[in-house]
This record gives sequence, C-alpha cells and structure tokens, in this order.
Amino acid sequence: MKPSLIISAGTCGLARGADEIIKAAKDYQQKRGLKKAFNIKVTGCHGLCQAEPNVLIVLNGKKIFYQQLKPENVADIIEKTLRKGKIIDDFLWFDSKTQRRYVDIDEIPFYKKQNRILLGNNLCIEPKFIDDYVKIGGYSAIKKVINDYTPIDVINIIKGAGLRGRGGAGFPTGRKWELCREEKTNTRYIICNADEGDPGAYMDRSLLEGNPHSVIEGMIIGGYAIDATEGIIYVRNEYPLAVKNVGIALEQAHKKGFLGKSILNSKFTFDIRIVRGAGAFVCGEETALLASVEGKAGRPRPRPPYPAEKGLWSKPTNINNVETWANVPQIILKGPEWFFSIGTKTSKGTKIFSVVGKINNTGLVEVPMGITLKEIIYDIGGGIPGGKKFKAVQTGGPSGGCIPEDLIDLPIDYESLTEAGSMMGSGGMIVMDEDTCMVDVARYFLNFTQQESCGKCPSCRLGTKQMVEILDRITEGEGREGDIELLEEVGKNVKLSSLCGLGQTAPNPALTTIRYFKNEYEAHIQKKQCPARVCKTLTSYVIDPDLCGGCTVCAKNCPSNAIIGEPKKVHTVDQSKCIKCGICITVCPDKFRAVKKMSPVVR
Amino acid sequence: MITLTIDKKRVKAKKGETVLEVAQREGIYIPTLCYHKDLMPYGGCRICVVEVQGWSLPAASCTLPVEDGMVVQTDTRLLKKLRTFSLQLILSEHPHACLICSKEKDCAQYQECIQKSAITFGCKFCSQNGRCELQDLVDYLGIKDIPFDFHYRNLEVERFDPFFDRDYNICILCGRCVRVCQEVRGASVLDFHHRGPETLVGTAFDLPHLETGCQFCGACIDVCPTGALRDRYGKWMGVPERSVKTTCTLCSLGCSIKLNCLDTSVINSTPDDNQICVRGRFGIAPLVHHPKRVTSPMMKKGDRLVEVEWDEALQFVCSRLKHHAGKTGIVFSPQLSIEAIDSLYRLADSLHCHSLSALAACYCAPFDLKGIKGNAVFIVVNTDMISDFSPLLLKLKARLKDESTFIVIDAVAGEITQMADLWMRPEPGKEGELLNDIFAQRKVGVHTNISIKDIKYARDLLFGKNCYLFCNPFNTENLSVPKEVKTIALPGSVNALKIGAMGIDKSVKDVLRDKNIESLYLCGVVPELTKKYDTVIVQDSFLPPCEFDVFLPAATFAEIDGSVMNIEGKIKKVRKAIEPRGKVKSDEWILSEIGRRLNLSPRSRKPMRRKGTITTTHRSVRTSKAYPIRLIVREHSYMYRSTPLSQLLKGFERLRHDNRIWIHSSAAKKYRVKDGAVVVITGKEMKLTMPALITDDAPEDSVVVFSGPSIGFIDSQPVRIECIK
Repeated sequence: MKPSLIISAGTCGLARGADEIIKAAKDYQQKRGLKKAFNIKVTGCHGLCQAEPNVLIVLNGKKIFYQQLKPENVADIIEKTLRKGKIIDDFLWFDSKTQRRYVDIDEIPFYKKQNRILLGNNLCIEPKFIDDYVKIGGYSAIKKVINDYTPIDVINIIKGAGLRGRGGAGFPTGRKWELCREEKTNTRYIICNADEGDPGAYMDRSLLEGNPHSVIEGMIIGGYAIDATEGIIYVRNEYPLAVKNVGIALEQAHKKGFLGKSILNSKFTFDIRIVRGAGAFVCGEETALLASVEGKAGRPRPRPPYPAEKGLWSKPTNINNVETWANVPQIILKGPEWFFSIGTKTSKGTKIFSVVGKINNTGLVEVPMGITLKEIIYDIGGGIPGGKKFKAVQTGGPSGGCIPEDLIDLPIDYESLTEAGSMMGSGGMIVMDEDTCMVDVARYFLNFTQQESCGKCPSCRLGTKQMVEILDRITEGEGREGDIELLEEVGKNVKLSSLCGLGQTAPNPALTTIRYFKNEYEAHIQKKQCPARVCKTLTSYVIDPDLCGGCTVCAKNCPSNAIIGEPKKVHTVDQSKCIKCGICITVCPDKFRAVKKMSPVVR
Repeated sequence: MITLTIDKKRVKAKKGETVLEVAQREGIYIPTLCYHKDLMPYGGCRICVVEVQGWSLPAASCTLPVEDGMVVQTDTRLLKKLRTFSLQLILSEHPHACLICSKEKDCAQYQECIQKSAITFGCKFCSQNGRCELQDLVDYLGIKDIPFDFHYRNLEVERFDPFFDRDYNICILCGRCVRVCQEVRGASVLDFHHRGPETLVGTAFDLPHLETGCQFCGACIDVCPTGALRDRYGKWMGVPERSVKTTCTLCSLGCSIKLNCLDTSVINSTPDDNQICVRGRFGIAPLVHHPKRVTSPMMKKGDRLVEVEWDEALQFVCSRLKHHAGKTGIVFSPQLSIEAIDSLYRLADSLHCHSLSALAACYCAPFDLKGIKGNAVFIVVNTDMISDFSPLLLKLKARLKDESTFIVIDAVAGEITQMADLWMRPEPGKEGELLNDIFAQRKVGVHTNISIKDIKYARDLLFGKNCYLFCNPFNTENLSVPKEVKTIALPGSVNALKIGAMGIDKSVKDVLRDKNIESLYLCGVVPELTKKYDTVIVQDSFLPPCEFDVFLPAATFAEIDGSVMNIEGKIKKVRKAIEPRGKVKSDEWILSEIGRRLNLSPRSRKPMRRKGTITTTHRSVRTSKAYPIRLIVREHSYMYRSTPLSQLLKGFERLRHDNRIWIHSSAAKKYRVKDGAVVVITGKEMKLTMPALITDDAPEDSVVVFSGPSIGFIDSQPVRIECIK
C-alpha cells in the first residue's frame, strides 16, 4: 500500500497555516515527480487542534503523528519519513502530563481515552470525494434501510439505541421522529440545525467540514423514517468552508443517486438544500430558526405547538442537531445494541466536546457518556498549562454553568450536568484556572446573550440588560450591597418569564458562578478586590523591588510611559498613567519576573 | 370538545382555542398587554402567564393551546411576582415617575400648561393620561416601586408626518401596531428594527410614513396601549366622555364610526368594529371645529358681508326664490342627508324647477359583497381602490381569505397599481380597447400600446376564474365588457345611488351654462361661476370662493340626525354627536323651513328627471397641434361637501396633492414646467389655472387633475399648457 500524507485542514488548521503546508507538500510532490510514491489527502479536522498544523503519515501499518509544522518542514517529512520511514523526533507530539513523545496517533494520551466513532473518520476522508466515504461503508446504511426496513422499523431502531438530541436539550430522538411522523399530513420537513452559536463550540463545524456525508446520510435515513419530502441544513453564515463542503457533498450524493427522485430505485424521493444563517445566535433556537428559513426575522415563537406538530410553513417538522444526524448511519449499520452499550444508564453513545481555554491539549474530544470531567481535563486534556491550578469548567456555552473542582468527578451525562446547575449544551467545554475571574466570566456570557437577544419579551431583552449592568458595576468596583441577591432574583425571574430557551438559560452563567464562587463576588463588592486579578479597575500592576534588576526593558516598552527608573536601579509603575495593558509582565525577563498584579489596587 | 380546569373551575373548550380565550369567555380575568382581540397572539409581554400543572415553566396563556385535562392556575404568588417583574422591566424604559408616585392624585392641578411641551416625562405630561393600559396594569398589580435603573431612549418625537405623532420613547414594544398594519391592513408599514435592547418599531429605512405607502388609516393608533402613537388633533383635549355611533359620509362606503366627544367638542373619530380610512379617521373632528367654519347666516349688504339672523336670511331667500321660480338652478352635494335631499326635491318641485343637479349620481346596481364568489380575479379600471375604498378592499380580501388576483388598468399610477398582480397602463381613453384585446381573441398591439406579453399574462390570470370588473363610473366611460365579466360600479360619493335613482334634470355643467337661469341655489356645492346671476344662495359650512348674496350655514353630519345610503344600497343612520356650533342648522331644517315659508302648492305632476350615472372620461381624446396634451379628470374623492379636504387640512394636502395639476417629468421638461409653478391649462372651452406637481404617477402624455366644483365641471379633453412666470 502506498504511504499517505494526511493533512488536517479544517478551519482550525487553516487558521494556523495548514494551507501553506498543503501547498508546500503538493508543490514538492509535483516538482519531484513523486505522485506515484505517496498520496496526499487533505481532510477535515483531526481533533488535536493544539497540534495544528498537523499531519498523519500512514506507512507500513503505522500512523505517525507530526505536529505544529511549518512549510519548510515538508521537504524533510517527505524525504525522510514518507520515503525512508525515518521518524523525525522534533515533530512528534510531546505530552505535557507524561512528559514524553509519541509516534503513533493511537498512543497519544489525548486520543487514547476517546471513542471517536464520529470524528475518527475525519482522518480518512477527503470531504470533496464521496468515494472516500463510500469506501468506509458510507451510504450502505441507507441501502440497508431501504431494502430491509420500514419507516417504523427505523424509528424503533433509533429509539432502541437511546439516541438523545446532541444540540443540548437531550430529547429522545426516536420519540421526536415518531411524534413528527404521527401528524396527519402529506408534507413534512426535516432540518439539520447547524447554527452552532455557542462561543468556543466548533464540533458541528468539524463534522460538516470533514465528513458531511455522515450528516447527509443520517438525514436521508431520517427523511425515510419520518416520511419527509425535503430536508434543510441550516448553517450559520460564519462557516464558509462547511457550506462549501456540504454543497459539494450534496451535489455528489445527487449524482450517485442517494438524493433526488427514486433513491436507490425505491419509491423514496428526498432532497436536501442549504439555507444560510445571517449572524444571529438566537437562530439556533428551533422556532427562530424556522422563522429565519421562512424569510422572516429570527424571533422565536411560543411552544406549544412544537415543530413536530406545527413547524416550517406550519407543517410538521423534525429538527435535529448535526451530531445527532451523524450518529444515525452507524446506529443502523452496527445496530442499536452497539450504541446502547456505550454510555450511562440514561445517556447513550458518545458526545463530542470542544475542550478549550486554560488546557494543554486544546481540541475536539469524543468520549463515551459517563466519562468524568476529571478524565477529560487531565487525562485527555493534559491538565492546565503553566502548572496553574484548575478552577472551574464551563459547559453548555452561554446557556450553561460553571462546575467547580469539587465536582469534577462528575460522570458526564445529561442529568448529572443539569443537577449541578449546568447543562450538556452543544458540548462546549471551557476550562478555567486560578487566573480566571468568575465574575468576569458571568459578565462575558451575559453580555453575549444580551446582544443576541431577539428583543421580543421584556424579561430577556431588559432582564439580561439589568444583569449585565449589575455585573459591569461589580467588575468595575462599583458593586453594592444587595447586588448578589438582586442578580439571583432577577436571574430566577428571567428564567421563569422568558419566551424561549435563550432567555430561559441566559442567567445560568451568573447563577452558577454565584452558587459556587460567591466568595469572588463578595470580594469584588466588599473589598473591591478581584482575586484572579483580571478586572482591570480592581487591579494594579506593580514592580516588586526585591526582584527588579533595573534592566529598563519594561520602561522602554510601556506604551504610556508609566514606568520610571534609572538603569540598574529599581523601577516603579506610575499608577496614574498605567493603562494595565500587561506588556511589562510579558517583556520582563524570566530571570527577574518582577512585575506582579495586585488586587485591590495600590494607591 | 375539550375539558380543562382553570382556577379550580371545570370549563369546556374547542380544539385550537387558547387558554386566554377560554378564560375570558368564562369571566376569569387574566391581565394582558400585547394581546388584542383582532390580532394574532404574540406572546411577547409575558404578562398573561399562567401556571400549568406538571409544567416546569409558566406559559403565556394568549398563545397556549388548550389540552384535554389541563389544570391551569391564573392567579398565584409566583405569577404575580413574574407579572410584576415583566411590567417593572417594561417600565424601566418608560417614563414612570408619575405611575408610582404617591402624590399622583394631588398633582393634576399643577400640570396643565406643561402638557404642551410634549416631552413625556410621566403620566401627567402624557396625552394618554387616564386611558393608558399601563396605568390599569400598575393599579391591578399594585406596583409601588421599580427596582431597576431607568433608561430613557432619548429619541426625537416624530412630528414630521401628517395626522399623528410618534413618541417612541414611551413605546413598550408590544408589537400591536406592527401586527395590525401587517395582518389587518396589509400595508406592512411598521416592523421591528434591530434586536435585543436596541429593538425599536419603525418604517423601512426610517423613512417618513408619507414615503412608505402608509394609508394613515390610524389602525396603529387604535391598538396602541400607551401614548406612543396618538392623533395630533385631539391629543390634548382630554379623555372623551361619550362615544356616539354614527356613519361617516365622506365617501360612498358609509363606514360605521364612533365620534368621541367631550362636552361640545368632537375629540376624534374612531372605527366602530370595522376598518376605516384617513378621511373618516383624521378628517372629521378638525373639520367640524375648523376655524374657518361659518356659524352664522351672512348676507351681502352693499360691499360688506354681514352676519344676520336666520329670520332675515330666510325671508330674503324665500322672496328671491319666489321671484325667480322656474328660473332657479339648484345644485346640491350628495353628502346631504336623505331627509335633506327629499326636502330639496320637494322644494324644487314646488318651485317648478327644471334645473336640479347634483355632483354625483349613479344608476348602477348596489355593491353586493356576498355575491362575489371565490376563485376570483378583479379587474380594476381607473379607480384607486386603496386610496378611495380601502375598507371595502379589506372586506373583500377578508371574505376571499386573500385568494384573489388584481389586474389594474389605469394610466395614472397610484397605491393600487403598486399592489396589483398585473398593472397595465394604456393610453387614457383606451381602456375599452384593452379589455377587448384581453377578452376577444383578436390581434394584439394594434389598438393599444400594451405588450403582447402582458395581455397574455392577463389572459392566463383570468383563465378559469370568476371575473369581476370594478370601476368608478366618474372616471370611466361605459366600457363594453364580455358577459362573463360582472361589472361592479364604485361610485365615490355617499347617496350617489339614491340620487341616481331619483334622477336629476341635467348635468351641473349644463345648469351653469343655461342662459335662462337667473338665480342659483347652491347646496353644498360652490363652483366657479361663469356668468352673473341675480341671486346666489349658498348653503354650506365654509364661505365659497364665488360671489354670493346670502350664506346659510349648514351643520356637519356630526351635528345632525339623519340617514344616508351607502354603496351597498344600505340606509345608514347618522347620529348627532354634539350640539350644532353657533347658529348652524341642519340642511333638512333649512330646506323644510324654506318650503314651509314659501307655502307653494306642490306641482300636480312631478317633473321627469333623468335617471343615470355621471361619467366624465371621454372616449379617446384626440390631441392636435393647438392642444397637444391630454387632460385627465378624475373624481375628487376627498371632499367635504363642496370643499376639498386638502384645502381645509394641511395633512390632506401633503398626503394627496389633489389641489395641484399632475404632470409627468418628461412632459414638465418638454413644456418647461417647474414643480410648484402655476400653470394655465387651456382647452377649447375651458381654462384652468393651478400650481403643478411633477410626478411620474401621471402618464407621460397627459396631465391629471381632480374634479371638483372649484375647478369647474370639465371633462377629459385635449389641452395646452403654459407656465406663468
């Protein structure tokens, strides 16, 4: 078998320069006439985004993982590794927890504890070639469905597998399909919600970019089961590569007869089209999404009636998340018992999490339900960089909450996260350390939901605004006695009064941080102190006279000339001029590390 | 049949009903704010929330479909807390100082003059004080304090459009105005802008309403719960104490309206369980109380115009009428009540008058809404149904549930040409030819300039459908249409059908040209007079521009009891809402009194009067070198008796420009006419001097003018234009 050079080129990789790696590799291959020597595959995201630009070299049964590459490395990789089988140590992944390098991708701790039933296939699929997907069994699920199963059979299989919606709410998927099918009508729609608006969440993007056919096949099977006429993939406008790759995939699926009239010579006719969003987080909410598809402003509608009864154009509509659809073909092929065997009692299968923030191994992690937060953060994530102390992990995006250290043995499933005051959400997981201010985190998320509020109901439109104002005041040192209670009261009322999921969950970041980190709030209000030294108004940058070596580097780099000092003499920061940009900390040589942040402010 | 429990009461409901509807029917009160019975429920204000057993969150009852076995509670501590929370938030953006002030009751006496600053800082400075739904809710929930910081949007109050003001600083974003404009009126002028805390209500691109197709129907004002949208005229006059149901007589629809009055004034007029138009909504109150209304009889004595008593005026009138009996021309406005018209006819008969004429007469069948079947295509000829008949159009659309197609044939552009499914613009006068082109299978492109593509499209639209043709007979000659097409006349004036059936002696033009007539009795009509008369008697509300000898001040329809006949042939009641102003009397009283004083024996045989329909458009007007441009005359449908509304009320002038002659930009260039410049239009037997309006609503080769007594009774004809320096 010819060796392969597989280049990870999702949006994350491209942002770190993967396109230059691709160009360098293709140029080199062309110039040296090496087309017969090895294959180049440009795939979607491989998952370990910290390592990007990364490549996988498949050679003699080995899967060699090279990371953080530059275009000038390409020549060596091709000549030494691909052609001669020599490993280049410098390019190997170095794990910060185990403090050693790994050659094979499967050995890397990041990947070892994962169960990459969905994302794993990104490694062998070049998204613009449908044959890559077919080669790994793609579209055999729909064949099986059409030949062997009735629509009710399919629904029962999905029910039996215990698949629950991966968009956040976790509603049983099979039951949802059943409800939609039960409505008496000739027209039904199915929709793939690819609006993925949570900041820090990008698993849907990676699925759509890297393996669009898995989603498409899932939708075709869903269309068959529900007896739908049309499917729509609603993609947020900010995912151009996903839109492009899905478009190519749809075209190719058409050509092969997997979409359109009489699919695989059956009576089943089904088609899918793409509808792009226009920059509104609220359009991830299903009724706002429906309004958007109908060409109206994305404002949610009251439920009931639910979309399964009255959805797109008032017809029964089934909406599922990207990841939910992607699970469907494998459940058909491997059987519901296989899926049922993974996970916990109530939450089956795997879930993809985007592990970001203060973590060594940033990336997309696919794990079986029931794994603990601790395992994700330390075993897979490699722990906190810089040896800092873990503080909290935020799950569920702006709708979720922060989970503190004493709860990280929590097994992850829908119910346990909700009990802890957070939620599964779409799978965003933001890791925070001792340098994160929890009040600021609440402020950040509330600010986000405030701006994204559609404006229809006063509880969300104005209630979150009141919360943001209170949080702004607290982080700027103007917190008052009673603010914490007011935040809780307003937050609870907003949750109970709001029309849609955005308003009903927007207070969560504030409420959970108050629940678990009340001391930080109290410090901000009573002592005007930010324990994490993040809130600028409450923090001073100070030079430790015992450590300062008088090298003048900080003074020279200070943009507001706030540092005074003679060479070889102790420097001081003029607090009245300091704009707290932090450049002095960055440039102070390691041997001194004399600049410190202090809170409350010094006079 | 569904059974559910609301507040421990078992109630029955039908599938598809909401919990709010059922509760209201059962007399269970649930407070609401954005809900309105005529609009689709919105669920936005969160005031009507209820608790449902087994549900983790409360739900808005206005959008909650009933389910069998549902157990609902409408008045719990939690609900009160949440309603208070939502209202407090709404009020955090709405000037609320007065709403929660403990001195509220004592304050009123100090606030009178500050109202006129029209910047609403609180209830006492607001025109809606005393009739605001927020005040009602604050009372019901017992709110004494608002724990949130107050935000004033600090927007400029919008006063640049006619008829009504908009203060979006006090808007609570309930969405009722948006919904009524979109769902009920179909004009879609208003919508929400932006989102989140920046959300505001406004027009497309923040254009003035005049530029967005707003019909100024006032429906948005009628549903606004606060003082954000209010009529400019009656805003500060206080809360009306009585509403009198009556009929608007400004056009042939005769819509039911309510005149809302306080003491001796009409504050405003609002719809009575239907939709109305800008005339009925904004034209009535300021008209009735117009400063130029003459409220005392007047007589010319030498050079001076003197106020006199009724006795003297009527004596004079009777003596002149007796003197000129048989040589008197009587011209009247169809806006008189039927009772007055009857008195007038009796008077005319007893005077042996053969020169009785009216501004409008229509002998066509009454409009039968129920006779219009579904699967319909409407061809509308030379009639702007939106500006002239919008409530009728809405009834039509409601009846057909919006499944109707409109083909508009009109050389002049208007509101309906914009909403038409197909608009064809033939040369003026060629409407009949065009219809023949469409219906007869004859060669196209010969008789009119309409393209084959459009005619084919029209035929496609008509295929297999019930076809109805609407036209205002005043604007269109008798068109020959195939028998499959049902022609429905839309006369513009109230009582036109009555007068058409009663008959008139001759046209107004002929009365005015008759050399034998020596005196004129002008009853609600004041034309340009072309000859000298011995006596001119004017009976109207405003002083006429022509010479006259005696002026008899007539009451408006707000000040009389009577009846009128509308376009459907229905007799509708006009009810007196206020005491007649000054010394004005109803037309009926004046005419019967004259008749009584004259005490003439009624004629043994009533004169034969011509029954018919007044039309004006000439068949294909041919231009010549001397008269190179066509003059199109359209019925002036915005009149109060003799006077165009645009002459009395600035808002109508800005809205309609019907007091100008319309000229296309290319024609304006050709004849060197500037916008607003005074032009002289000369025809074979007529001359007209008016300011011009350059608009491409006029066809390229014609100028358009709106008929009215003040411009004389002219027909469409070839003319020439000259610009006066």
